[in-house]
Amino acid sequence: MSVWSSLLIVSMVGLITYSMRAVVIVAMANRAVPPSVERALRTVGPAVLAALAINLAAGGDGGPHLEAAEALALVVAGVAAWRSRNLIVTLLAGMATLWVFSALL
Amino acid sequence: MSSPVGTSVIDRRAIADAFPLFLPAIPFGFVLGLAVTEGRMPQAIGWSSSILVFAGAAQLAVITLAGTASLWAVVVAGLVINTRHVMYSAALAPAFQHQPRWLRWFGPYLLIDQVFALAVLQVDRPPAEFRRYYLTVGLFFFVNWQWVTALGMVVGPIVPASWQLGFAPPIMFLGLVLIGMNRRPQAVAAVVGGSVALATAGLPDRLGILAGAVAGVVAGSFAESDERSEVTV
Repeated sequence: MSVWSSLLIVSMVGLITYSMRAVVIVAMANRAVPPSVERALRTVGPAVLAALAINLAAGGDGGPHLEAAEALALVVAGVAAWRSRNLIVTLLAGMATLWVFSALL
Repeated sequence: MSSPVGTSVIDRRAIADAFPLFLPAIPFGFVLGLAVTEGRMPQAIGWSSSILVFAGAAQLAVITLAGTASLWAVVVAGLVINTRHVMYSAALAPAFQHQPRWLRWFGPYLLIDQVFALAVLQVDRPPAEFRRYYLTVGLFFFVNWQWVTALGMVVGPIVPASWQLGFAPPIMFLGLVLIGMNRRPQAVAAVVGGSVALATAGLPDRLGILAGAVAGVVAGSFAESDERSEVTV
């Protein structure tokens, strides 16, 4: 990937990310976000992160593809995340599952 | 308990609050650093996202996706992840009304998830104390994020391929979803988003991410209004 298109991507994401963080603080300091918009915004995080996790695991070059060990790793990581609420525990549980089952299967 | 504001610039209690939240960011920063060394962007530019974007999940998405989808698809994926920041901005706006103009412009640059989570609990403090707390926490995360991602880039090439660390990003994203989840509409959004993304994983240009995200938000919003009508009835 070229230097310029990479820089363009990073700069655009950076600039618009800053704008999203600043928009209400800087421009609308005296107005409130409509409750309906606020409710919709609250679901954006979980929806996007879930879609991203699945697409990174299963999508991409060469069409949908997910190894059994990878699927198991996601399940175990999911249980670990839910129970521990700890990102380090989640990562270790998922990766350990992946290592064990890719060696076995 | 907050001690009286001294002359010190740094709020020690803010550091004590921030430190435990920073620990999970360390492996995340390592995964990001690895992704930079394995991704298709020039490494210096990949790393510069720690300064220019300063948002771990969006950085990881952009760096992992770059070169595997069109430029616009990569940008949109990064931005969709960050839309939650509008909500942070809205939630902190009242506290920033009492702050000087320079902080209203500079403060949002530091407004990552952890900074929001800590600062939103301090909005009732006097403006000077809030400012000191906010800047301490924000700069703490900013400075540490820079060296952690850089260190990840150094460690990355040494890690053997058999560790399959390329699979760490989806695990991290899954973990972020589940750890942050505490209400039913969010669960609906995540389950629908994930399911639609799975069904559309074969679409070109990583369009499955956008498809899943849109479906998840629509379903989650319905669940929100559903929950409200149940409460009011």
